[in-house]
Formats: sequence, structure tokens, C-alpha cells
Amino acid sequence: MELIGFLICFPLIVALLLFVINNNVARKIITIVGGIVIGVASCVLCVTYLGTSGVYFNISSEILDGIAITIDLAITAVVIGFGLKYKNVLALVLAAIQLVLTLVFAFGGVTEGVEVQQGLYVDSLSVLMTFIIGVIGSGICIYALGYMDDHHEHHTDIKDRRSFFFGIMFLFLSAMFLIVFANNMDWLFTAWEVTTLCSFLLIGYDQTEIAIANSFRQIIMNMVGGIAFAVALIYCAAFLGTLSLNQFIAIGQFYSGLVLVPLVCLSLAGMTKAAQMPFHSWLLGAMVAPTPTSALLHSSTMVKAGVFLLVKLAPLYAASFVASTMVILVGGVTFCLCSFLAISQTNAKRVLAYSTIANLGLIVACAGIGTAEAVWAACFLIMFHAAAKSLLFLCVGTAEHHIGSRDIEDMDLLFERMPKLARFMMLGIMVMFIAPFGMLIAKWGVLVSILYASLPNIIFLALLAFGSAATFMFWAKWLGKLSGIAGTQKDIEWACHPSEWFAQGIMVVLCVLGCVLMPLVSDAVVCPYLYSTFGTYGAAISSDNLWIAAICSVFIIVVLFGALNKGTKAKKVDIYLSGVSVDNAERMFRNSLTGSTEATARNWYMDNWFGESRLTMPGNVVSTAIIVLGFAMAILGMFGFVL
Amino acid sequence: MSFATKSPWVIHYDGSSCNGCDIEVLAALTPAYDVERFGIINTGNPKHADIFLVTGSVNERNIDVVKEIYDQMVEPKVVVACGTCACSGGVFHDCYNVIGGVDKAIPVDVYVPGCAVRPEAIIDAVVQGLAVLEEKSKVLQERKKEGK
Amino acid sequence: MSTALITIIGIIAFAVLAPVLGCLLAGLDRIITAKMQGRVGPPLLQPYYDVRKLIEKDNVSVNSTEGVYITCALVFTIIAGGIFFSGGNFLLCVFVITLSALFFIMAAYSTRSPYAELGAHREIVQVMAYEPMVLFLCVGFYLATGSFNTSSVFYMNQPILFATWGFFIGLVFVLTIKLRKSPFDLSYSHHAHQELVKGITTEMSGKTLAKVEVMHWCENVLFLGWCGIFFVTGNWVSLIVAVLVCVVLYLFEIFIDNNFARVKWQVMLKSAWAVALVAGVINTLVLIML
Repeated sequence: MELIGFLICFPLIVALLLFVINNNVARKIITIVGGIVIGVASCVLCVTYLGTSGVYFNISSEILDGIAITIDLAITAVVIGFGLKYKNVLALVLAAIQLVLTLVFAFGGVTEGVEVQQGLYVDSLSVLMTFIIGVIGSGICIYALGYMDDHHEHHTDIKDRRSFFFGIMFLFLSAMFLIVFANNMDWLFTAWEVTTLCSFLLIGYDQTEIAIANSFRQIIMNMVGGIAFAVALIYCAAFLGTLSLNQFIAIGQFYSGLVLVPLVCLSLAGMTKAAQMPFHSWLLGAMVAPTPTSALLHSSTMVKAGVFLLVKLAPLYAASFVASTMVILVGGVTFCLCSFLAISQTNAKRVLAYSTIANLGLIVACAGIGTAEAVWAACFLIMFHAAAKSLLFLCVGTAEHHIGSRDIEDMDLLFERMPKLARFMMLGIMVMFIAPFGMLIAKWGVLVSILYASLPNIIFLALLAFGSAATFMFWAKWLGKLSGIAGTQKDIEWACHPSEWFAQGIMVVLCVLGCVLMPLVSDAVVCPYLYSTFGTYGAAISSDNLWIAAICSVFIIVVLFGALNKGTKAKKVDIYLSGVSVDNAERMFRNSLTGSTEATARNWYMDNWFGESRLTMPGNVVSTAIIVLGFAMAILGMFGFVL
Repeated sequence: MSFATKSPWVIHYDGSSCNGCDIEVLAALTPAYDVERFGIINTGNPKHADIFLVTGSVNERNIDVVKEIYDQMVEPKVVVACGTCACSGGVFHDCYNVIGGVDKAIPVDVYVPGCAVRPEAIIDAVVQGLAVLEEKSKVLQERKKEGK
Repeated sequence: MSTALITIIGIIAFAVLAPVLGCLLAGLDRIITAKMQGRVGPPLLQPYYDVRKLIEKDNVSVNSTEGVYITCALVFTIIAGGIFFSGGNFLLCVFVITLSALFFIMAAYSTRSPYAELGAHREIVQVMAYEPMVLFLCVGFYLATGSFNTSSVFYMNQPILFATWGFFIGLVFVLTIKLRKSPFDLSYSHHAHQELVKGITTEMSGKTLAKVEVMHWCENVLFLGWCGIFFVTGNWVSLIVAVLVCVVLYLFEIFIDNNFARVKWQVMLKSAWAVALVAGVINTLVLIML
């Protein structure tokens, strides 16, 4: 209990300190100490509550509720302020709606008599999330120290507001902790809105025109989700008489018709935050922000809040056909199309973004399936995605500062130019898409969990099959680019910041440990959650197979970091250039005019098959239609039309 | 006996041939002669090949190419000069751009005269080349052993 | 006996037997191909001689990593085969063979040779083309037997083919890609007349190339095993039927190989995905509705 309070409040204090102190050295010390303390405290909490089946704490106070409402109102006020400053009508309208809803909720009498005794809780899912937020999140904060130095060196035109930046990062962590611990849905909503605002501010950090436009895109889309959340809150308070998440889930499992409206509203909230189609464009836009922001948004915060909520609600989907179908199909369409879209991207950060959206789609669909096996898969997807994706973002960020590009084609020869970084990246990519590493084992779990009769499942199966094939394509060609070796390249890695190595090291260790210890994590963390929620242990994959995968992982990791560094006894020879090479190491050949031409190969991007101009629109239309249909059925259901 | 002789893979390079010999080289692959009976495959890749069949003479333009392809072939390897031009430059020997036979560029192991060279002669030459290949293979095996 | 032990025995057995079987198959392939072209063809053991010769060749390499990647590819092919034939998890087998394909691709990429890289690009597209059908196949297997373990067919009273005909048709279609047969031999061909012949293996020589050949033999045995399992039941006669079917399928693939010209990747991708979608979805629907 004290530990939970500490995890929520301590980042706040760090954030305050960082806001106030504008000295680079002091900031570094505070960030490093703060990050390490949060990381250690998260680990302590994980150990303390390892294997817990859920502990609920009696904490309720009118003062805390009042603070929550005040923060909600303050957030809308800030958004209205920004909306006025930049004359963004849509943001103003949405903020106004949200303001009205918050006022109705606070002073409209709907919460009268509704009291949540147990304000906070810890269960095994929160333990998993705490670990991700506390270790990966604070690792990214430490990484940002070195990165932001370089960032301001490279972009002298951008105003240096680093104290603001780091303050917001820690505020973000605090809000995330509250999301995973809050049983009181009002508090959950407050933290939810704080994360929306924080990412708005972080995306707009550079204050360029495009940064501001994209930050507004983010806030507009997430306010749609926020409004849906607020509607769900009002509905719960007014019709169900509870604001306890725990009770809400309990009611929903037995009276699925009663909770259908708030459930689809919360689904919408979760899907906007998890950047599902048609809301995915905000996450793509978020790429303009400094890389630590992207890493934070993609791995441990923000989007993970969205999927956390949906996974939390998984038992309700199992009981509700309408909500379940809506969520499975939106997740499936997002997974398939965003995997296709990732093929057409050359910008490494955009590939990562599309892959994040696709994987979130998979997690969302798992939540929608709502069985124990599906949730098992979802938990591992969340865990491995957080570790691998943050590693990849940190690597791309570092590479960008040293090779001056985030284009995958420019990462040619990185294997020798930045040997350690390239291997880190290769590990991250492999963990993302290939067995025996975590993500694919989790995906295997997804396959297992959909193998029972239901039409949405069959559609999802087809989407999964084709999306997975595309996943292979876009990762494999990137991996190939990284593995290229030619001539003797200059090692330019020495110039990387130690803080960056430190953070990347953490992510690498997490990826490796995650893959190797997957069977143990399954037993100690994921299965207890399944047992407390579904009453079965429900691991989708037997531990025999998990161990086989773990052994294969170790083998590959040894190869990647050991065998590939060693020279061979083989004589080194030139490559085949049809017998007309001029400078073989540089791949120069003599052309038909006796001049020199360099033989270069570019990867395939298949833009006219999988380009944004071809797929984004249909994806948005289909997913919007699914969501609208879901809502229509839920509202009809409210008036007694049971479908 | 080493396995080198049981699976001679060939790379064929047309120097400045009139294409007469080239057609005969390809004819050796057809049903009438079917050199695959002896495990011979036309690989088109110096890294995979054991026997280098060169047709036509070496000239100023292609001498580097012949040398590079030869260099990129992996030991043990054998060169067969197919046809009169490849052996000596033939009727083109005193053209302004012609240097001469293939042996002006790389060491040749078997010379096959003929204009154009007969497929039977090519097959015979390759079989003779196999004896050389066998020798070279033995030398290489011994060197490998000593190396270890 | 524990599953792990059976798997290890399976892997060892596969490592010994599959190259022998695969080598004979490859030899048979070359003889039959020659006969179809009116030639005599090489001895049955020609593929074995080829590999022995390659091992005897000098040890050269364009970089220090290519050989490591190829060794990994070979090892994972053998592990995949061991898992499949020891009654292990079908999906795991598919995942491990995909891993092997990835290492093969990385080996080609690592050379930065224009021809090898072109082959690698095409290989990636080939994997993308057959991957959906292979996933459907696993799902179909599960729906028919109630388990992903290949050993579960031994408890069946009738071949799973009766339930999974659609998946079988789809598998036979992508088998042409997997066996690297024309018209889908885009990345790496056996025949000298293609526009890119040895594509992905351009820079490989000697021992490395020998490993690729052995890997290819093992792959062929494994993929034929995937086809054969559709016919296996608890009755031992079914094993003979399965082997016969594999032989017939292999002859069929040789026939296709010799009668079709290489297609462009667009045709391959479109047709493989269309077949996967139609065969996979229809069969899944039928299985679930009935």
C-alpha cells in the first residue's frame, strides 16, 4: 500500500523538482537518481506481490475525489487555452463537450451515494505493468538525458525547454502508475486524461508547425476517447451505481446487457489511446517528437494504457458478442493493414510506428476474444513489445544522431559502422517478429486462443495470417540491411553517450531475460492473473514448448553476440561482380562506357501494393464502420432491442 | 579418388568468339551428348565452378574479366581453352585488339583445338581436365592437413 | 518418456536420416528431369558427390558472418524436422523453419553482393507468399485433430485429408515455392536457363554451399512430410499410403518444374495469397460450421 502510494507520488515529486530546477547537471543527477529509485521500487513491488491473486486497499476520500475532478477540469482548461492560442476549433469543441460532461459528472448529482471503498488495488496484471512502466519507462528517461543534449546541439533553432520535457516525462510515469493501480474509475479517468495531456505536450515540444499540428491531432483523437470514457463513467454512476472497476467487471460478467453501453464506450476510449484504425494517425504524427518521447509513448506508457484497460475488461468481452466482435475486428483489421503499410515505409521510425499499431491491434483483438488463453497471449505481447520496441526506438534515435538519417536504406553497413548498436537493433527486431523469441511465441498463443467456432474469429484468423506474412517481409528486409558487411568501415560508435548505452543495455537485458525466462514469467505472473480472473491457469502454450523456445533463443543470442564477432579461418575473397569490378570493396564495377558505377541494391517497398495512399482510406472506412455498427447495436440494446 | 572428378561444375566464358564454339559448348548439354551424365553442370557462377571453359581469344577489353573470373574460382580449378581462337588467337591472332590465346591471361590446363570445336572434343577435354583437377585436389587436401 | 527427450531423439534421427533421404530424392529428381528432357542424366548419387566435392574445395568466404548464418539455418532446419517427425508441435516446426529461412536470407544480405541481395529480396517475397497458407495449414491441422502435435494423427480413424482437403490443395500449391521449383524458383534455381540462376547463393562456395545443399535436402523431406501427414492414421498401412503420396507429389512437382517458365513475383504473390485465402477460409468455415 505504501509502496503503491510511493510509486504514484515519487515521480510527481521528481517531476516538480525537474520543473523548478533548470540546471543541466542537477537535472541529470535528479533524473538518474529518480529513474533508478522508481525502477528499484517497481522491482520491489513486483517481488512483494509476485503471484498475487489481487489485493484491494480501502482508500476513499472526498478530498481525493475533489482533487481528481479539479485535475480533470484543469486539463480541459489547458486544452481550451491551447485551442484558443492556436485557433483550433475542433479541439475547442471537444474540450467544451468534455468540460460539460465533467461538470455533469461532478455536480450533476450522478455520483450521489456512489462511493468506492477500495480505491486502489494490485493484481498480477498491475505487477506486470508496474515492471514495464517502472523499469522501461525510467530507462527511457535516463536515455533522454544524452539524447536531448544532442538534440539541442543538432537543432539550435528549437527553444531549450528541457526542464519542462523531463518534468512531463516523470509526470507521465506517475499517471501511468495510477492507471494500473486505480480501482476507482474516476481516478483512473483522471490519470487517463493526464497521460493524454502529457503526450500532447511532449509531441508539441519542438514547437515547429508540424509538431503543433500533430500534437493537436493527438489531443483531438484522444479527447474523442476521453469523452467516451466520461460517458461510460456517468452511465456507470447513474445506472449501475458503482464506480469501482472491480464491481463493474463483476456486474458485467453476469449481466452483459447492462454494461454494454459503458463497455463499448470504454472500448472506444481504449482503442483511441491504443491508436487503432481509424485513430492510428495520431501515433504516426507523434513521430515528430524527440525520439525518447516516441519510445515512451510506444513502449511503456500511453498506448499501453489503452491496451491495459481493454485487457482488464477482457472477461466482459467474453460475455458480450457485440462488444467482442467490434473489438476483435477493429484490432484484426488494424493488425493486418498496418503490417501491410509498414512494408511501404522507408523511414525507420514510421516502420516502428506501424509495427506498434499493428501489434496493439493484436493485443486489442486478444482482449476482445476475452478467453484465458487470449489474455495470456496479450500479456506477453504487452511485455515483449514494451521491451523490444523501446530498444528499437532508442537504437534508431542513437543511429540517427550518428549517421544523420533515420532512413532504413541509410542504415546500410551499420553492422560495422556501429557494431554494438547494430547487434542491439538486430536483437530488437528478432524479438519483434521471429520465433523462438517472445513476440512470436505470444502470437502463437493468439493462434491457439482463436481456434474455436465463431465467425469473428475466422475473419481475425485470416487477417492474422496475412498480416503475419507482411510482418516477416518488413522486418526481414530491415534486418538484412543491418547485417550487410563490406570493406572496412570506420567505427563511429565511440561518440555515443553513456546514458544511451545504459538505457539500451537495460532493454537488451530485459529482452534476453524475457525470452529465456518466459516459462517462469508465465507461471509466476501471467497465470496467477488468469487464475484470479478466469478461474483457470490457461497458459496457451505448454511449458515444454516454452523451454524449447527458450533454449533456441539462448542459442541465437550467443550467435548474435558471440559467434558473429569472431573471424573465420576462411580466406577472404571478393564478391562476384560479373568479372568487371573496379573497386570490389566499394562495389564499383566498370560500366559499358568504361566508367565506374556503384552496384547498389535498394529494398523492396511495394508502394503501389501496400502504400499509404492505397490502404489507409479503406482501413479507416472499414474500422469506422465496425465501430459505428458496434455503437448502434449497443444503443439499440439499451432500448431493449437485444441482438 | 577425390570427389572433384565426380562433380565437375563448369563456368563458360565467351571471350571474343564468333559464337561457333559457344554453340558447341551448349550442344554438349543437349540430349545428344548429355554431359550431365558425368555430373557436369553449367553453373554460370565462378564461385561454384571447378572448370573454366573459355571460348574465343583474349583481347584488350576482356583480359581483366577473364583474369577476375579465374581469380574468383575456388581452388582446385582447371582451365580448358575451347577452340582454336582460345588456344592461340586463331585467325584473329594478329588483329589490332587481340592479345592471343587464353594462356596470355591465365594458366591453361587443357587445349582443345577445332574451328568450331566438336562437342566430343569438349567432353574429351573436360575428362582430361579431370585428371588435372584430381592432382590439384590432392595437393590442396595435403595443404589443408598441414594447415591444421 | 518426456517430450523433451523424444524431441531430442527426433532431431538426432532427422539429422542422420533426412540428408540420406533428401539426397536420394534430389538424385531421383535429376534423373527424372533428364528423362523428361530425353537425356540419360547423372547417377543417382550425384547430389552426394556434389556435396562431397564442395566440402573438399578450398575454404574461402566473402565475409566472416555468412558461414555462421548458414550454419544456423541448417541447424534450425534440422531442429524443425526433428520436431515435426517426433510428433512435436506443428506450429513450432513452422516457426523454426521460418527462422531458418531468415538466417538464409541474412547470409545473402550480409555479402552485399548485388546478385545475392536480389535473391534475398525475392526470397523474402517468397516467404511472404507462402506464409499465410502455412499458418492456415497449422490451424486446419488443429481443427481436424484437436491438437497441434503431429503425433495426434495416430489417434485418428480416418486421414485428416477428408476434413482438410482445402488446406491440402493450398499446401500443394505453395509446395512449389517451398521446394524452389519453377515457376516459383525466383530466388534460387536448379536450372541454368533462368534470368537469375543461383541468386541467393551467389557468394556461397565450398563448405557453405554444401551446407545449403544439405539444408535443401532436409527441407524437401520435411515439406513432403507436411503433405504426407494428411494421409496418416492409426493404421500402419496409412504410413505406406502417405509415403506413396509423397512420391507422387514429388513427381508432380518435377513435372511442373519442367513444364512451366518462371513467373514474375507479382503473379506468385497474388496467386499464392488467393489460393491461401480461398482454400484456407472455405475449409475453415466448413470445418467449423459442420
